[in-house]
Amino acid sequence: MTTTAAPRQTRRSPRVGAIWRGVAGVAGLAIILEIVSRSGIVDQKYLPPFSSVIVRAFTLWGDETFRADVGATLLTYLLGLLISIVIAVPLGALFGLFNPVYRAARALIELMRPIPPVALIPLVLLMLGNGLEMKLVIVVFAAVWPIMFNTLYGVHDVDPLAKDMARSFGIRGFGVIRRIVVPSAAPFIITGIRISSSIALIVVITVELIAGGAQGIGAFISREKGSYVDVGETYLSVLAATIMAGIIGLAINLLIGWVERRYFGWESTARDGV
Amino acid sequence: MTDTSTRALAAQATRATTTRPRWRRALVSIAYFVIPIAVVIGIWQLVTMLNPPAPFFPQPFAIIANLWDLMFGSPKAVQQVFYGEFLQTVGRMALGFAIGAVWGVVVGTIMGLWRGARETINPIVEFLRSIPATATLPLFIILLGGGNDMRVVFIAYGVSWFVLINTSVGVGSVHKTLLDVGKVFRISLARRLFRIVLPGAMPKIFAGLRIASTAALLLAIVSEFMLATDGVGYMLVQAQGRFQLLNMWSWMLALAILGLIINTLLEWIEGRILGWHRQSKSRA
Repeated sequence: MTTTAAPRQTRRSPRVGAIWRGVAGVAGLAIILEIVSRSGIVDQKYLPPFSSVIVRAFTLWGDETFRADVGATLLTYLLGLLISIVIAVPLGALFGLFNPVYRAARALIELMRPIPPVALIPLVLLMLGNGLEMKLVIVVFAAVWPIMFNTLYGVHDVDPLAKDMARSFGIRGFGVIRRIVVPSAAPFIITGIRISSSIALIVVITVELIAGGAQGIGAFISREKGSYVDVGETYLSVLAATIMAGIIGLAINLLIGWVERRYFGWESTARDGV
Repeated sequence: MTDTSTRALAAQATRATTTRPRWRRALVSIAYFVIPIAVVIGIWQLVTMLNPPAPFFPQPFAIIANLWDLMFGSPKAVQQVFYGEFLQTVGRMALGFAIGAVWGVVVGTIMGLWRGARETINPIVEFLRSIPATATLPLFIILLGGGNDMRVVFIAYGVSWFVLINTSVGVGSVHKTLLDVGKVFRISLARRLFRIVLPGAMPKIFAGLRIASTAALLLAIVSEFMLATDGVGYMLVQAQGRFQLLNMWSWMLALAILGLIINTLLEWIEGRILGWHRQSKSRA
């Protein structure tokens, strides 16, 4: 609160303070969990000590099947997102350019968007089995709408004056799209991709968890949960794998956030939204 | 994102009022909504009728009729199905959503108001919300068993992050001058909270609630897929196990309708409560 009045030099200190507070918060939580578990307030079976969960998370990396599972999840996620972009961006751009089509497409997308993608799992599972294709179909169904909606909106929202000006400078047809429409819609598209990215990761892991059998982090968790060798051990592995899923999610979020700020930071939409 | 789209809608509306009479405008927007859907369903119906029967894709009218039978008309299980499964899912979801929303608003407000608290909790929040909520379901099952309480807690947990983050951002963005004015006039903390802070953060909170409502349905279904004895998700898995494709499609349709109803409901509430916000924005 006092920093606003403070001289320029001390501006840096709030950031350092924020980092220290964050570290203190994480460390405090870790210590509390450790104490609660070790002292036996809560049964160690249900709340293993924080340190042993971390150790297990690291030893999991030594496990080849777990690495393969992580690879499978990441591959499905990337492919799914890529396919969604390839489908949604051109279609969204096409629909966004013409007003009646834009309104009709918006109505359809608004209708499709709230449909929970996981409801498709049983049907697609029957049709395609529990391999990569099944996962991809559901991930694409989930990830395609935010990108399409944002592209549609971004393309529709292009300043008509800018388009007219480009035309009066003698730029025709596709040139207008390339020089005016695409650059001004890009921040919207990126926001859509960011939203879809987190949805895609959630859906990949959910599908793996429910459909089982197939490879992936979700499948790993579901296999571990199913193998009732020893409750404590099982629980530890499930917990560690869940934490690994969180780390992957965090890394992806940070990466996309960074790309968005670095390359598309001029637009305010980059900061809005989820 | 929702913010920009609502603004565009308002702009569109103002543009339209100046050029066309009101009833025509309403008619046109209804037509824009109904015609595309009718076209899609019509094509689907035609293709399934003309082609030799495709086992995986029943006719849309048959799906609708079958859903009607399942929910209201079937002489076998009238009451049970509708009240049992449909309301189970809705009840679970609504309770989990309510708990998660309240928790999210409370913690989010604390985080938004006090920078110290925000900076301390932020890394933990960022990490926990990065874990796909569905991946934590096995943990909830191990910890709390397979009962209804577990499902409600699980939904509340998954939903709370969306509300928490948005509330914290919304509360944090309330102008400091406004807060200071409240302090200078010695308005009590509670009144400052409910009259200045929360109304200011409302647009953001509602954006969070809308995402959260979609998530709540998804989490409810996933929890019913994994371990349940009732609910629409459970019925869907049962139908899958027996290869009853028509029933599967009907239950999928039921879930889609549920998602739409929830979304429309929240949009309507948002419109009622945030009408002032949209108006002030479109005037600016």
